[in-house]
Amino acid sequence: MSKLIIWVLLFAVLILSPFMGAVSLHVEDIFNPNHLSSTIFFDLRVPRVLFAFFAGIILSLSGLLFQTLFRNALMTPYTLGISSGAVLGAGIAIKLGLGSLLFGIAAISIFGFFGAMITVFLLIYLSQFLRNSQQESLLLLGIALSLFYTSCLMIIFYLGDTMQNDMLIRFTMGSLSIIGWQNPIALGIIAFLLLITIYMYRFELQLLNISDESASLKGVNTKKITLLLLIVSSFGIGTLVSISGPIGFIGLIVPHIVSKIYPSTLNKRIIKTALFGGLFLVLCDTVTRGLQTQSELPIGIVTALIGGPFFIYLIINRSK
Amino acid sequence: MIELKNLTCRYDEKPILQDINIKITDHLSILGANGSGKSTLAKAICNLIDFDGEIEIESKNIKELSLLDKAKSISYIPAKLEVYDIYITVEEFVLLGRFPYKKSFFEYSLKDKKIAKQTLEFLKIEHLKEHTVSSLSSGEQQLTLIAQALTQQSKIIIFDEPTANLDPHNSKIIAEHIKGLKDYHQIILITHDLNLASYIKSPVVFIKEAGAKLYEDDFFNNSTLEELYGVKFESLAVKYE
Repeated sequence: MSKLIIWVLLFAVLILSPFMGAVSLHVEDIFNPNHLSSTIFFDLRVPRVLFAFFAGIILSLSGLLFQTLFRNALMTPYTLGISSGAVLGAGIAIKLGLGSLLFGIAAISIFGFFGAMITVFLLIYLSQFLRNSQQESLLLLGIALSLFYTSCLMIIFYLGDTMQNDMLIRFTMGSLSIIGWQNPIALGIIAFLLLITIYMYRFELQLLNISDESASLKGVNTKKITLLLLIVSSFGIGTLVSISGPIGFIGLIVPHIVSKIYPSTLNKRIIKTALFGGLFLVLCDTVTRGLQTQSELPIGIVTALIGGPFFIYLIINRSK
Repeated sequence: MIELKNLTCRYDEKPILQDINIKITDHLSILGANGSGKSTLAKAICNLIDFDGEIEIESKNIKELSLLDKAKSISYIPAKLEVYDIYITVEEFVLLGRFPYKKSFFEYSLKDKKIAKQTLEFLKIEHLKEHTVSSLSSGEQQLTLIAQALTQQSKIIIFDEPTANLDPHNSKIIAEHIKGLKDYHQIILITHDLNLASYIKSPVVFIKEAGAKLYEDDFFNNSTLEELYGVKFESLAVKYE
């Protein structure tokens, strides 16, 4: 019953979210196409809420996937430095002044995407050299990469002019402020593809969640499937981060909460994690917009404020 | 049938097993000191680690078998059950043994579920099916691992130290099950437990200094054991019979 209440509340937030923000909207104005409220509602608020929803799905599903493949609750694209890779890629594009389009796609997105993919392949390549307690070492590799990327970004800051730096700073804070329908549609397609792929391989993942050895003994081509799933989810993360900037810790928090609400095997949590993740980010975004500060607080800062302490809680809880 | 031809396994260039040639047509117990390479041998037979030489399963080179076909001919039961998924139930865990027979992307069939149910009944643990695997005792976990291997319906089953983590009472239960399974499967038993090996009564391969020696029926006497292990033997302790 309490589970039902949680879902009802979250869905209520999803429906009410477009009505909230700096400008109050009246229902009769929204459906008057000549009224400014209609433009705000349909071209800003609704796309933004959908963008947040799909972003939440991609972040939480990728988190669940990484935790499953590496059998470690601390493994997410964010903690492994894949998000940072995307940020650096996007930062380079901003510094180079590639604001325009390359082949019809924003240059920043392409660079961000490659930043994420290069990081994944680096992690896979470097992990071959790890031996004992591989999982923890991989996490350290991710942190090392993150630190390295941050230094590179600092060099870009140092060399950049004021306008570029302002753009960069806003980007690194993570923001869901988007205009129009192009981004939510693109992200919606990616979120759907990611969900389908993970769901298709749910039984392989259930075995991989026990151990690579046990999956292999049951006939799973562990290397092939791990690589495929990592590439698909990094594609999603790369695309998302190159649009929104980094939004941390959703992939860490959401799978954990869902497993507490539904203590069941992985397969039964995939769709719930996706849905909860989408709604959770919409909730975070709605709260941020409702705070009525002078200018809008970037969502990346909000999730990091919640996520940082949560990360510490997970580390302490694990060692018990 | 398993045939090892010039099998050599290395760890950091150092040979753990060297030029092993054995034809395993029936049940077999593998014994040897700690670190002698017993588990390495088992992992090589499952093609989980790199090796030189050849391993044939039912006259087919294991490296040429598809992963699914391999899973249908061999199952491997580790000494200890480890799961990251702390919420997986016994029933769900045992059903994983049906993976090699499952249609890709689809749920496990009713037939798969029936086989899992029958296996749980056979091992007398059907009352545990709703429990999470992580909440079981070591003895129950070992039975759950055996149940998963049995639903895999492979001809060959490899037991890797099945009694290493168990008390004498649970060891006896597991020992009786292993003996019973000899009628339906080819059992490869890796163990330190001499009582268990002598109770199972299979030919013994003793691994020492990277080599392997086969003993058909002259292994369990004090002089052989003393020579191999370098300690005095009075008699074997716990009686499984």
